[in-house]
Amino acid sequence: MVSAMTAPPDLGTAESDARLIERSLQEPEAFAALFDRYAAMLYRYVSRRLGPEPAEDVVGETFLVAFSRRHRYDLAYTDARPWLFGIATKLVSRHHRGEAARYRALRRSPVEPHVQSPADDVAALVTAGASRPALAAALAALPRRDRDVLLLVAWGDLSYAEAAQALGVPVGTVRSRLHRARRKVRAALGGTDPMSEEA
Amino acid sequence: MDDLHALRELGRELESPPPASLVRQRARLAGRAARRRSRRGTWTLLSVVAAATAALVLVPALLPRDRPEPRAGTTAGTAGRPLTILLLGSDARTGAGAGAGTDGPVRTARSDTLLLVHLPADRKSVRAVSLPRDLLVPSVPCTRGVASRGRIMLNAAFSAGGAACAAQAVEKATAVRPDRTMVIDFTGFVTVVNAVGGIRVTLPKSVNDPASGLRLSAGRHLLRGEAALAYVRARHGLGDGSDLARVKRQQQVLAEVVRRLTDAGALTDPVRMGRIVEALASSLAVTPAMGKVEMLGLARSLARTDPADVAFTTVPLRPAAADPARLELKQPQAGRLFAQLK
Repeated sequence: MVSAMTAPPDLGTAESDARLIERSLQEPEAFAALFDRYAAMLYRYVSRRLGPEPAEDVVGETFLVAFSRRHRYDLAYTDARPWLFGIATKLVSRHHRGEAARYRALRRSPVEPHVQSPADDVAALVTAGASRPALAAALAALPRRDRDVLLLVAWGDLSYAEAAQALGVPVGTVRSRLHRARRKVRAALGGTDPMSEEA
Repeated sequence: MDDLHALRELGRELESPPPASLVRQRARLAGRAARRRSRRGTWTLLSVVAAATAALVLVPALLPRDRPEPRAGTTAGTAGRPLTILLLGSDARTGAGAGAGTDGPVRTARSDTLLLVHLPADRKSVRAVSLPRDLLVPSVPCTRGVASRGRIMLNAAFSAGGAACAAQAVEKATAVRPDRTMVIDFTGFVTVVNAVGGIRVTLPKSVNDPASGLRLSAGRHLLRGEAALAYVRARHGLGDGSDLARVKRQQQVLAEVVRRLTDAGALTDPVRMGRIVEALASSLAVTPAMGKVEMLGLARSLARTDPADVAFTTVPLRPAAADPARLELKQPQAGRLFAQLK
């Protein structure tokens, strides 16, 4: 769990998440600082999976749940991201039907090009755009647990150890789920797609 | 092409930027945190209105006839004219003011609930606009020293200078001038319940809520002051645990208080009545003071209001430009709303 023991790089000398949570036991208001640090990050992640409206609610819920469980936070983990992503992931799973439908819809309707993208990303986007229907189909068809691991790593930028912490499973389990999920995604991208039909 | 790379590209396409309204989720969290901090609990919006209304109805009904007319801060009557009241639910347990008319030393009282209540001249449709405690408002003379960069949080204005200061800050921010401020606190509630001899509740099952200190077996109970307070504040073990269930319970308690007052012969027992009047006077500090006649008139006019016609609105908000962790009024929507309160 080495990576979980290191503070997020951008915090510099700021108070660590663990310290903040510890302080919030005496001063509950201090917990809001955790929101200021991570709400936007979580929102971006959840909006990818569920879309903008559910994301707002899920992020709000995530922090309320986290707040009510802050007494149980293991202060040895200075970085609270895995903990928050774990709570958010549980809340996202309540919307799993909506999530799968969201990906399935992508197989058909093209997403409008991202107007904000810098020019040098365009080529990548075109490639991604071409493979999007296959990717979306693969995502929609993944078992929920495998998808959670895959997206925590690919979209949440968590390490294996952090994903394990987030989901409360051993790192080995994260590896095997990720391996399985990536195999299916690669198969979908490679054209030898076992997932082309709806699951 | 690398699968994770392709997946990240897809993710970027699907992503939405965090909206300004996310600050509302922050306010939700901050509200929860503020409630936890205060072991003394928090008035909910509805209970403040209900308590104020109940007090307004009860005070005049209970004022002894031979008592001299309390000196009013203003002499203008309120009958037949629109009336705007700033209601503040204070978490103080000391009595925000020993009786109407004083602005009272407020000590470290904090206001958890602020509400602008507008009563039109015909009193038919009451509008109540809740103002968040962490709303940034322009500083006013009474907040000098506490304001930073010309702005201050609304509840800080209350802490700094009491209801009068909060009213000035509200007026500056909203251009609505409250005709009256009313401060309600917990002490008054406890005293009122004791004065009426407690309230009767029936519990379908036993309750043990360490958060509020409420421990009761199933069945009927007569609750006095502190226990009654715990009962209205408890969230766990009663009903479905929701805030709404709690609000309902608080309304039931107020109804029970009214029932005890009218049933138990309190009105004909001068000793008990004296206690009740004292309790009510300390639970509701009205500034400027209302005369007996004026209060009775207001109470009677409110009796014509159907509770269903009380419209609750939350003021339009946005994250403050200078400090995204705070809220400020969202214009021009907020201005339009306040214009209706004049």
